[in-house]
Amino acid sequence: MNIAVCVCQVPDTASVIGFVDGTRDLSRVNEVMNPYDEYALEEAVRLKERFSGSVVTAFSVAPPSAKEMLRKALAMGADRAVLVSGTEVSDPYQTALALSRSLSSYYANTLPDLVFCGKQSTDFQSAQVPLMLAELLGMGAVAGIRSLSTSAEGLRAEREIEGGVESYDLHYPALFSVEKGLNIPRKTTIKSVIEARKKTIDIFPLSLDATPFVVMKTITPLERKKKCQFVLDEKELIRLLGEERNLL
Amino acid sequence: MKKYLVFLEQRDGIVKNTSLELWHKLQELAALHHNIVVCGILVGGVNLQQLAAELFGKGVIYHAGDERLMLYNSAYYAQIVAELFQREAFQALFFADTILSRELAPKLSVLLHASLLSGTPIFDGAGVDCGSVRPVYSASAAVSFQPERSTRIYTVTSFLKSENTLSTRHIEFKALEPHCFFDVDNSFPFIRRVVMLEGVQDLTEAAIIVGGGRGVGSPEGFVLLEQLALLLGGVPGASRAVVDEGWRPHSEQIGQTGRMVTPLLYFACGISGSVQHLAGIGSATTIVAINSDPHAPIFDSADFGIIGDVSLVLPKLIAALQDFLKKK
Repeated sequence: MNIAVCVCQVPDTASVIGFVDGTRDLSRVNEVMNPYDEYALEEAVRLKERFSGSVVTAFSVAPPSAKEMLRKALAMGADRAVLVSGTEVSDPYQTALALSRSLSSYYANTLPDLVFCGKQSTDFQSAQVPLMLAELLGMGAVAGIRSLSTSAEGLRAEREIEGGVESYDLHYPALFSVEKGLNIPRKTTIKSVIEARKKTIDIFPLSLDATPFVVMKTITPLERKKKCQFVLDEKELIRLLGEERNLL
Repeated sequence: MKKYLVFLEQRDGIVKNTSLELWHKLQELAALHHNIVVCGILVGGVNLQQLAAELFGKGVIYHAGDERLMLYNSAYYAQIVAELFQREAFQALFFADTILSRELAPKLSVLLHASLLSGTPIFDGAGVDCGSVRPVYSASAAVSFQPERSTRIYTVTSFLKSENTLSTRHIEFKALEPHCFFDVDNSFPFIRRVVMLEGVQDLTEAAIIVGGGRGVGSPEGFVLLEQLALLLGGVPGASRAVVDEGWRPHSEQIGQTGRMVTPLLYFACGISGSVQHLAGIGSATTIVAINSDPHAPIFDSADFGIIGDVSLVLPKLIAALQDFLKKK
């Protein structure tokens, strides 16, 4: 089986996003693999281990600094990695387009059997790229899966919806965007990191002729501070909520 | 004239409250600007008479009621919506932000070559849509997005407040005959089964949420939270910490990697108030924090606070609430 995993970089949660003159200052930011993508990668590697002869390839549309993240993908068990570079992507559509072009080229105009993506990236949380990619590739897809069972014939995926759970049946090829908790991503070991150095990171140069569908106009810091009114007495709190704010 | 199309999401024949709210908000906009026309699209069987009784506003609602469309199917739904959108030359398509729309909207963005924006939609002085605003980076920043394409799709998480109240009821239902092929190949992925949790109000639609974190002390400690939630007519929620511990299910998790909620009243019990959790409750109107640590960051984001142990505070709170409700 050919399995593709799309990964991206995000600022780690401890990073401080600075603002200078209405623009982002990312100079103090440490970039890591998007946490949701780790679940995607883990699922792909587990399937590779189950279905022998499978090949897992990690793809990323990113600047050269992403090579370290791709090395981690390789250390987690991906066989190969592709860095799609030379193209500035500024919206989910361009990212999805760049991914679809590189996947199409890599798989010589056939489709991989499975594509895994993290549900969303933790920085912008658009959750758009995976499903756009599926549409561009012409693949069936389910977003936000929490469990997946595979057989040689078909796939079964489950996802949470508001107040319930949906179970899907699909055929190969299929794309999944994965929810946290799908699996427990493995930690890389020194051995796996050393072995990863022997695996290849291909550079796929791509220049996109498409313009973005959406542009970011302004970015402003959000002040979260509220003035907390401390209450000593529970009865007083109920009175405030019930009579003053009319919430009960 | 600008035409907007509202996707009215149904489950089991009931149109979701979030879709109804969206319809009404856009109808209020249309009432203010006479060059704006708002229509709706409903896929799947719904009792139209019942629906008409719930709706205010003026417009056409296109209805594809074929039995085979009852359960969500991304291929069919996308095809039906895209066909109508293009045929009637709509400018923008609006979805309430739900699990379904998060899957359908990106698909339609590619199909219709439309800009996809999410968050709070922005309209200019003439009622024309011109982008959206939403929080990013764990809600530490707000970004405004601008569409580059002339056709747009919005997944709406919240709307700017409006003062209008609608009184007209002039809804016309038009049947849609879908031209999609109900064949086997086209139907994958298809829903094999939907299991709904009995009597559980979804977190993202709840007006009152009682959230609990490590400070609750134990899984058993959540019984008090459930009791409080029940009394208030709300639902329990959880921080990532207690979900990771296995005390509460993932469906209750609120925060960056859980659900984003928009309740009128949110209780944060024994929750320290990490940036990631706060990102999930950013839009809550009133936040009450109960924590034994007076320096817990949650107090910086709360309207009211009680410093104390959750297991000691909650029983008193529940008793006080019971008294209050009796007197009402």
